[in-house]
Amino acid sequence: MICGKCSKNQATVHVTEVVNGTKKEAHLCEECARSAGIGMKFTFSISDILGNLMEVPKAGKGETGSLRCPECGITYSEFKAKTRLGCANDYEVFKAGLLPLLEKVHQSTQHVGKTPRTVESVVRKESELVRLKRELETVVKSENFEKAAQIRDRIKTLETELSE
Amino acid sequence: MKWDDFLQRSGEWLKGNGPDGDVVVSTRVRLARNLSRFPFLTVANPETRSQIEQYVRGRLQEAFPTRDFQYLSLMRMPMIDRQLLFERHLVSREHAVGEGERGVAINSDETLSIMVNEEDHLRLQAMRSGLQLDLTWEGVDQADTELEKRLSYAFHPRFGYLTACPTNVGTGMRVSVMLHLPAAVISKQMDKVLQTLARLNYTVRGLNGEGTSPVGDLFQISNQATLGKSEQDILSEMRKVVPEVLKFERSWRHKLLHDEPRKVEDKVWRAYGILKHARTISSEETIELLSALRLGVHLGLLSHVPMAAVNELFVFTQPSHLQKIEGKALDPEQRDVVRAEFIRKRLP
Repeated sequence: MICGKCSKNQATVHVTEVVNGTKKEAHLCEECARSAGIGMKFTFSISDILGNLMEVPKAGKGETGSLRCPECGITYSEFKAKTRLGCANDYEVFKAGLLPLLEKVHQSTQHVGKTPRTVESVVRKESELVRLKRELETVVKSENFEKAAQIRDRIKTLETELSE
Repeated sequence: MKWDDFLQRSGEWLKGNGPDGDVVVSTRVRLARNLSRFPFLTVANPETRSQIEQYVRGRLQEAFPTRDFQYLSLMRMPMIDRQLLFERHLVSREHAVGEGERGVAINSDETLSIMVNEEDHLRLQAMRSGLQLDLTWEGVDQADTELEKRLSYAFHPRFGYLTACPTNVGTGMRVSVMLHLPAAVISKQMDKVLQTLARLNYTVRGLNGEGTSPVGDLFQISNQATLGKSEQDILSEMRKVVPEVLKFERSWRHKLLHDEPRKVEDKVWRAYGILKHARTISSEETIELLSALRLGVHLGLLSHVPMAAVNELFVFTQPSHLQKIEGKALDPEQRDVVRAEFIRKRLP
């Protein structure tokens, strides 16, 4: 059966409407059905969902909307319209707007999965640094200067590596 | 690139010999990745796009130097060839019809494909026949780790792998399992399945991915959340949910066969009869009939038809495959004739 609206595509959506006791039937293709706003429960797209979520009015919406990323140049309003970000930096710049959105989509705002090895080693070094600095205080207090010197050297090495 | 290879062979996921193959057609895991030194493609001008493509292509060739891997550039590729890659599920529809410098790296058994400049700089996907969550994940994870040694991904300690669309951020991982649920459809039980899956935060799509409606009783279910769950969390949730759907479909198949054996047999054999003897057939009708055939094979009603033959027909009867086999462009009417002929030849 051919679509009753565009007369081009195959009709796959069949609608029966009863208006004032008169039965009306329509046979439409997917495209025409969608543009007529007939619910296609199988074919919602991610951007539709996102678009709807972002409609939620937020306090200070005006300010958020005009926020612009200095790196890629897109504004929060542009992101909302396209539902796509412009660069990695946007996650920082638009953080305030993104956090509630991420919470709605993922029920979380904290990554817990795979981490690139390079990042992993940075994280490891950073936590070692924190640990060593604490240890340094203790050994200095106990006047173990030999150990303190060793720790200080290690801290220096780590700091140079991290600043590279 | 020899396109004939694609017509001589079929991807691993089409073999139909994977675990739970009576209901699960294939398992797919994809990872979305971006490079830290380039803007996302949303704002990239053609020049930047081209730089990204060249850079990633180079790293891909270093990471996968064997002849088993080939890189295909899509920008200057004829539409019919891009369409074939899409029909093969090696690239997304958007990647096939898109514009600008972009490409795909594919291995020879088609278990791995890496799209360059799709929505994100890199989309890595592994695909396997039947329900093989671990093996599929390992395939894509290894490829990702190998690439990571050679390029720097956009990564944030809090948000994980950064993606153009915030719905993919975190692991960037989407696990999709393609299910064949004819008994649930025939018994009008699909709404129940869909509602349950939606409540569990799973997305359901048709055969051809985002924005497509279900055809041939084929449904792709995938995780929606990618942030706040590790890759293993996502997999183990899938490991719990999918068997429930399998159990549901199998019990309805059993019930159908028990309550209305003649009706089921009739449906299957009519489908076989039309496919085996039709002189012209549309792709929509083909998919619906193949679905009945697939059900028949698994219910033991059509024991002489191998599963691989049915699965291959799903792919090889699509427009681009038919035109490649014929070696020329065909209008829709000609295609319907060629399709009928092809099925008659291939169906045992």
